[in-house]
Amino acid sequence: MYDAPISETRVTQNEMKITARGVQVFYGEKQALINVDVDILDHTVTAFIGPSGCGKSTFLRCLNRMNDTVASARVEGEILLDGENIYDKRVDPVQLRAKVGMVFQKPNPFPKSIYDNVAYGPKIHGLTRNKAELDQIVEESLRKAALWNEVKDRLHEAGTGLSGGQQQRLCIARAVATAPEVLLMDEPCSALDPIATAQVEELIDELRASFSVVIVTHSMQQAARVSQKTAFFHLGSLVEYGDTNHIFTNPTDPRTESYITGRIG
Amino acid sequence: MTDLTSASIPAAHPAPRKSSLLTQSALVKKRNAAEARFKYYGIAAITISLSVLAIMLWTIFSDGLSAFKQATFTFPVTLDAERLDPKGNRDRAEMMKVTTIGYTSLLNEQLVGYLDARGISTEGVDDREIGAFISRDTPARLRNLVLDNPGILGQTIEFNGYATGRIDGYLKGRVTRDSAELDTNISVAQLDLADRMVDEGMLSASFNWGFLTNPDASDQRPEASGLGVALIGSAYMMLLVAIMVLPLGVAASIYLEEFAPKNRWTDLIEVNISNLAAVPSIVYGILGLAIFINFAKVPQSSPMVGALVLTLMTLPTIIIATRAAIRAVPPSIRDAALGVGASKMQTVFHHVLPLAAPGILTGTILGLASALGETAPLLLIGMVAFVANYPAGPLDGGMLDPATALPVQVYSWASRSDPAFIERSAGAIIVLLAFLVVMNIVAILLRRRFERRW
Repeated sequence: MYDAPISETRVTQNEMKITARGVQVFYGEKQALINVDVDILDHTVTAFIGPSGCGKSTFLRCLNRMNDTVASARVEGEILLDGENIYDKRVDPVQLRAKVGMVFQKPNPFPKSIYDNVAYGPKIHGLTRNKAELDQIVEESLRKAALWNEVKDRLHEAGTGLSGGQQQRLCIARAVATAPEVLLMDEPCSALDPIATAQVEELIDELRASFSVVIVTHSMQQAARVSQKTAFFHLGSLVEYGDTNHIFTNPTDPRTESYITGRIG
Repeated sequence: MTDLTSASIPAAHPAPRKSSLLTQSALVKKRNAAEARFKYYGIAAITISLSVLAIMLWTIFSDGLSAFKQATFTFPVTLDAERLDPKGNRDRAEMMKVTTIGYTSLLNEQLVGYLDARGISTEGVDDREIGAFISRDTPARLRNLVLDNPGILGQTIEFNGYATGRIDGYLKGRVTRDSAELDTNISVAQLDLADRMVDEGMLSASFNWGFLTNPDASDQRPEASGLGVALIGSAYMMLLVAIMVLPLGVAASIYLEEFAPKNRWTDLIEVNISNLAAVPSIVYGILGLAIFINFAKVPQSSPMVGALVLTLMTLPTIIIATRAAIRAVPPSIRDAALGVGASKMQTVFHHVLPLAAPGILTGTILGLASALGETAPLLLIGMVAFVANYPAGPLDGGMLDPATALPVQVYSWASRSDPAFIERSAGAIIVLLAFLVVMNIVAILLRRRFERRW
């Protein structure tokens, strides 16, 4: 079946990783997110779904403070990572982003070698003491991203020379290399063909063993396939949040039902 | 009512007649004609600009190429020790008492004597007119040679010296018998003698290294003038401009593009930078005169003050080019770097700058090229001057010695009366153009070599 889950959908963990309370985001005068409360679990894939412009990407970018780079953006409310408010004045966003990695919609490898792409994060965070350790991290990360076998003989060729799917897995390897605790993925498969998408989806399920994964997706099938928890956003509000099984089979809110059955969005 | 409408519909919308694709409709014909016309306008515009360029280049090269050749004499000169060192003790201070006038008369006598000895007829030319063949620069050269090597006194040496400007022009075709008849400085008989001297192999035109190495010379001896000081001055200025403008321009651009908040102040700065890029360059000259020379007391005519003014002038251009190059780096690269936890500065220096570097370098080289050709601001800070001495080496304070620059040398030669200077002026333009072409080629190569890699 096309949208059969490729993973165990039952939630096995209940340890809280991220707690968001009353998150509001404004771009200038315009409010993009209204009072979002979400609890994201550790070792779980959480999917954010919803029609375009519903605020799901905005919320994702709040989780590692990428919204700081948008001058007009203003975030209210609190987001706790392991009980610490990431919007606290004392928090350095650079340190936060080492803990909360991100994979973007369009594969964006650095125009450097495959090796340098993966090694960049560990290098700037001083995670290794010597070349051997760095080599090891690079290999492990590429293995985790299921890319090692394809690129092990050409680690020093340009990362931009890879195919789209390989580039996206390289970006995942790059995010994994800094040993994050949470991995944010902003529509990671929207630029990929179905085969590459399947590879990345399998990868996402494997990554769940190591950390909490939050994925924004336009494809409800994808959300159903990879996630254990699903949040449905609509017009800046979090409409419904719960177990993926539950959301897709028995949504409580009529808007969720309309979206899932294709009547809105 | 219904009848009326139903009746009028076919009239308003006549059944479409089937048209053939093989014949053009009137509208299509009109459109094609307009397109063809526009194409011809474009071709005409390009033809006009190319032909103007060709005329310009042809004029410059036909006037200026001869500046790279120079007529020189070769004849044996016996250095009479009695006359050049009357005391006979080879003491430099004593020998310096013999001025160039002494050397001039010696050279004149030797030349007349040599012509006699070779049996070259000097018909119609008196001794003074024969002496006029020798450039006024030549005795001074001989004197320096003797002062530096007193050992050669008493010997007979094969001496090379510049011929005077008119003879030089005759050998290169600028002076003709017709023009000589109207010229009080040269006679037809002298030109005949010059022909005979060429036949005897003692007067010939060869490549003129002096044009590139000599300093400027006074109005009476165009043949001795060269671009040496101007080339050194321009080189010093370009070096200083590059050293000053690159860090300033890049730092300003990075700050404005990556760090500065977008508010009314940065908008104001942005507008001002664009406006400064359009300020006439002579205004920068006045600014330089007021601030650098009158207030900061930087020596006038020095490459340093020229470079400061040119830096101010090129800075806006470089900032604009650099910002464009930085902006052309896709934001996804910045996201990627920030996403793995790079700080803003790491993002800029590890990722954005390397990608923007070719654009920055291209912009800088083109900015330097425009600074190299800039004349107006240099007029105001005293670089249009007769500078006959080379500035010192770059580490010996040469940046503060008086110098000129290539474009102002063109300007000052073009304003002198002797046609020999006009030729040199065009020659200097050729040198300047050669430098500009080289700089532009380097810019193009850089751009090709480091094409965008994402």
